[in-house]
Amino acid sequence: MSLDTNRSNDLSKSKATNIANTVNHNATQPPWLAELEQRSRRNQQTFIDHISSRLGRPRATEPPIHPFRGAPSFWKEWSWEEQERVERFTAHFQEVGGHVVSVDNLEAAGEWIAQYAQDLEAREIVRQQLPELEQLRLEQRLPDAHLAVWNEDQQTDWRATAAGADIGIVMAEGAAAYTGTVMVTSSAMQGRSVSLLPTVCIVLLYKKNLHTRLGELLVPLDQRGRQQLPAGVHFISGPSRSSDIENDLTIGVHGPGIIYTLLIG
Amino acid sequence: MSRSEKTSATVKERADIALNNDFLRKAVRFTTERLRNGKQLASTEHGNWDEWRERGRQIRLHTIAHLDYYLNLFVENARANGVHVHFAEDTAAATEIVMTIARHKQAESVVKSKSMVSEELHINHALEEAGIEAVESDLGEYIIQLAGEGPSHIVIPAIHKNRYQIAELLSKDAGEELPPDTTVLAGYVRRKLREKFLDADIGMTGCNFAIAETGSMVLFENEGNARMVTTVPKTQITLMGMERIIPSWEDLEVMATLLPRSATGQRLTMYMSGITGPKRDEDSDGPEEMHMIIVDNGRSGQLGDPEFQELLNCIRCGACLNVCPVYRQIGGHSYGGTYSGPIGAVLTPALNRNVAEWDDIANASSLCGACYEACPVKIPLHDMLVYLRRRKVERGHGNRWESIGMKGFAILMGNSKRLGTALKMGRILQKPVVHNGTISLKIGPLKGWTTYRDMPPMADDPFRERWSKLEQELQQDQVTMDATVKDRMEQLVQARQRSKRGDFDES
Ligand code: SF4
Repeated sequence: MSLDTNRSNDLSKSKATNIANTVNHNATQPPWLAELEQRSRRNQQTFIDHISSRLGRPRATEPPIHPFRGAPSFWKEWSWEEQERVERFTAHFQEVGGHVVSVDNLEAAGEWIAQYAQDLEAREIVRQQLPELEQLRLEQRLPDAHLAVWNEDQQTDWRATAAGADIGIVMAEGAAAYTGTVMVTSSAMQGRSVSLLPTVCIVLLYKKNLHTRLGELLVPLDQRGRQQLPAGVHFISGPSRSSDIENDLTIGVHGPGIIYTLLIG
Repeated sequence: MSRSEKTSATVKERADIALNNDFLRKAVRFTTERLRNGKQLASTEHGNWDEWRERGRQIRLHTIAHLDYYLNLFVENARANGVHVHFAEDTAAATEIVMTIARHKQAESVVKSKSMVSEELHINHALEEAGIEAVESDLGEYIIQLAGEGPSHIVIPAIHKNRYQIAELLSKDAGEELPPDTTVLAGYVRRKLREKFLDADIGMTGCNFAIAETGSMVLFENEGNARMVTTVPKTQITLMGMERIIPSWEDLEVMATLLPRSATGQRLTMYMSGITGPKRDEDSDGPEEMHMIIVDNGRSGQLGDPEFQELLNCIRCGACLNVCPVYRQIGGHSYGGTYSGPIGAVLTPALNRNVAEWDDIANASSLCGACYEACPVKIPLHDMLVYLRRRKVERGHGNRWESIGMKGFAILMGNSKRLGTALKMGRILQKPVVHNGTISLKIGPLKGWTTYRDMPPMADDPFRERWSKLEQELQQDQVTMDATVKDRMEQLVQARQRSKRGDFDES
């Protein structure tokens, strides 16, 4: 794999040109982009007005009443007991090629990961910069491996680090048993690359965050609202896979071909 | 390479080319069969399927009926998130915006994840003309790109290629001999594309759904390439049909229930990603600059048209392709447009607003109604095909005999809808054109069939029954599949069943 070394330099100085979540970025825009923005605002009027006129009425500006929001009502009330959630989640995640391991606590999770990394002779490991993951004490447990902590310094090209890692370790924010899905989010401490670029992905999930339905993960995103949403919310249901060659299943096409959920608690 | 919307060959001629390719038919039938069964499995396992479909339909109907409000809301929110939103009324406008961004970014390469809109706009062609490399990163798309072809199925673009053909293409690409082994071939593509991702200046994606209330975009995929495209390059460009909107994340649960189950029989695709704006200041990955181009390109023509507005409800799952006897017979490329199968037969002429083209594609359908029954948002495609025929005749593109026949259609369609009536009409309309017990002049719903298959007059046998016979016939055809190909495919299925990975569970 060839890495563009210029890119890594660019990354650290990228802050200057970056666009914050809610600020008006017109001021710092290069002229061509400012021009596109202006054009966009002009076109918006015509574009949306055209839609209204095709719909045969004046422009709607009030929120319409949406009587069918979300899942059918019988579904919204439905849930499994914890035991069943664990069983279903495990069955569904495994059915599509993922692995689920139950551990009592973070200490046990750390032990399991260390053993796994040793068995596989993992050399490069990258994890999110989260206090829980620190408690895994992987640095002590795996003195021979190189352990990188996402975004712990400004010099490193973190994407490249993740791409070169054998194992990436992330914390799930929640999970849905019905679809066998874990949800991970992005932030400065939680690079999206950590669950995407390494060969193996290990997801830590507290049992208390395992829900029944996908809706139990989605509705809170509406409640958080635009300004509180992370840039990336990723729902992961198993290993990267494709059947594009003669329907023959291959795993690890672009993302991790091996994925573990460590169910804690 | 034929990526033009309408090549000079007719559907019939293209179908003949397709029909000559034995493997194509077998592979298409095998895959669609498997996906269809997978879908049946997933939707029975998931109870109350019809209630979910109805819910999906209602959400789509509601959003489209208020599209001006929701699209505007989406745009305002996406902008507030720091996205550069652009509007393009047609291919030329969309291409110009992409090229402007690419030029100012001094882009040398663009890495893409699957986007039907980009196919529709022929963006790769425009990029390549400007000397910019456009790399498709979906495994199937990468393969057909090497072959210089367009996708033949919405969900499985390289459905028509076998592993030997793929090994040959990839060997040429690699400059060394690669064995026809799926793992080796996929491994090669992984390595090759990793480099492309890390080198690319721009990542380009489509958009499955756009959430109005938070200005987020949602992508469904299995390989992780869409995640790569939205994580690694510094600039992201997303092409989005203007109708992709849903109001909320809560509504996404319904779409996430319907789309993967209908497309591939999965509970959920391996990845579903919601992207809300470019990377935050402190983030070390994700795009620094994010553009979304909202494309009309003929879509607004369906708005306010009572017969076709529901086309905009389509969530591009491909289920109607998998159940369509005509698609299963002739394969995707025969449709000659970006979108194939029953949805393509209606969408292509609707987007092109070209009445003269309508007969050709609209006839590549049996009007059996299977597409409607499979559709997760209940789009009455078979009715639309009849409307298309009628409009074509109304606008003077039909011949005299057909016009007489189509007037009969109009009268009958006036008081009743859907399959039953259309089928009864099929029988009535045959009357003036049946000679010596066979149909000599091909009218309306029968034309497609009589062109591609010999069909005796329907007499008193309802089309519905005939359809089930036809299906049996198609399935019997499969028995004549080349024995070695069949063996291999069966082994694959069995192996997967044994491995307990869920035999109908991948895309
Ligand atoms: S028309 Fe319906 S079945 Fe066909 S692709 Fe669209 S949503 Fe799927």
